[in-house]
Amino acid sequence: MNAMIVKALVMAGVLIVATFVVIKQMHIDLSDPINMITFIGAIAIAVLTFGVSAKYMQQMKSDSATGELAEDNWDGIGEYKNELPSGWAWSYVGTLIWAIWYFLMGYPLNAYSQIGEWNKETKTYNTKFEKKWKDATKEDLVNMGESIFLVQCAPCHGNSGDGLDGKAHDLTHRISKAQVLHVIKNGSHYFKYPMGAMPAGLAQGKDAEDVAAYVAGGLKGKAPTAWATCAGCHGQDGKGNNGQAPNLAQIDDTLIAQVLTHGKQGSIGRMPSFANRFTEVQDKALAEYIKTLSSAK
Amino acid sequence: MFHWLEKNPFFFAVGVFVVIAYAGLIEILPNFAEAARPVKGLKPYTVLQLAGKEVYKKDNCIACHSQLIRPFKSETDRYGQYSLSGEYAYDRPFLWGSKRTGPDLHRIGNYRTADWHANHMWNPKSVVPDSIMPAYKHQYTNAADLETAYAEAVTVKKVFGTPYGDDIAPGKAAYEKELKTKILPEALKIAKATKREDLVKAVESGKVPEVVALIAYLNRLK
Repeated sequence: MNAMIVKALVMAGVLIVATFVVIKQMHIDLSDPINMITFIGAIAIAVLTFGVSAKYMQQMKSDSATGELAEDNWDGIGEYKNELPSGWAWSYVGTLIWAIWYFLMGYPLNAYSQIGEWNKETKTYNTKFEKKWKDATKEDLVNMGESIFLVQCAPCHGNSGDGLDGKAHDLTHRISKAQVLHVIKNGSHYFKYPMGAMPAGLAQGKDAEDVAAYVAGGLKGKAPTAWATCAGCHGQDGKGNNGQAPNLAQIDDTLIAQVLTHGKQGSIGRMPSFANRFTEVQDKALAEYIKTLSSAK
Repeated sequence: MFHWLEKNPFFFAVGVFVVIAYAGLIEILPNFAEAARPVKGLKPYTVLQLAGKEVYKKDNCIACHSQLIRPFKSETDRYGQYSLSGEYAYDRPFLWGSKRTGPDLHRIGNYRTADWHANHMWNPKSVVPDSIMPAYKHQYTNAADLETAYAEAVTVKKVFGTPYGDDIAPGKAAYEKELKTKILPEALKIAKATKREDLVKAVESGKVPEVVALIAYLNRLK
């Protein structure tokens, strides 16, 4: 081994030791495969850099011209017959072969489709998902619902579901007085319940105020006289006649399902529809979680 | 070993050309396919939306937001239906982006509303507590450049045959008419939905704040 190569290896060694010291100083965990691969990569770079430069410096010092001269000769200056660099030539030939394969079997002619792959991936996943959570416990559903809520609902309803200071419906309560008054004044048919549209102006003035206070207060105490009008559809107990009309007493599964499917528009603004965004289990999970928000109060 | 490759320069040149041209062909050909035509029901951008698109470009939303949902389950779960090339038919230029410091915006119109955007652009932390997005308060006072947006509509209609109606035509008079009958009513609707008095007043006075145009554009992304 000559001095140049030894020097290069020593330099590389110093660099590797320095890297290792930094790793120890920063408490980087080398049992993590990613960190280990990075470290091995750093060693390779150090060795290659110094090794290759040593090799070429050596070559410049000691090499003499050898090889077969081409027949052409320009005023005494000749040219060696150099082969194509083999790495380049192999990739060139490889590309040609790959291109033929790709044209005939791959994307353009054989219609490989990313969408097809997506369909397959989604189908496999959904089957697995439905199977895994077929008998999900209530706790599983609430946890799953919370994750979905934080990604899809929290941007408007807030991380705690409080509606971010009136920017969206406060899910910790069924409904506020202002919202009830808005519905009484304007009617509503956003949820598409079997009972059909609620006409505008079923109660006026003080009657409307009383009903709104009663509903916003959670239907507690004595019902105002005008409540009879509401009870016709929403039921005497306000629970919506088994899903025929919206439940006014609490947020229930039907209400959540209808809002997710159809979106809604009310005194706060418009909520977009989330139809076909979630699987059945996810819908159920979301409902379970949202129900925990209001029952906590 | 590979001497045969370069012995005949003509063959070699043709070979190199074929290899490089093939790569180009594969990228170019699909753009002529049926899938690259406008998807069914796709409407060109309204003038207000075009003005919003300019705001999107000017304030460099593309630096942090992409507009391309790839067909991977992880992406469709979070952002919605994967993007189709025909959906970008009227995007000149498209704003796919390549950086997602923030979320993808290609379906944002489905899941956010005007008032949400108005809160968000004024102070992102008011709706997303952990957001690192800066506030864009200047958009509430700067007026959107509607004339340039109108000129763009006229240009793409003439040059690329974008299917605008007869209303989009060259000339000041046509612009004034479009402004009165289409742009301002559309802007007013959005301004009212944001529930911000200053925006409504600005639109009523005939000046459309940038944020209103931007919201019109964002609501169109679905």
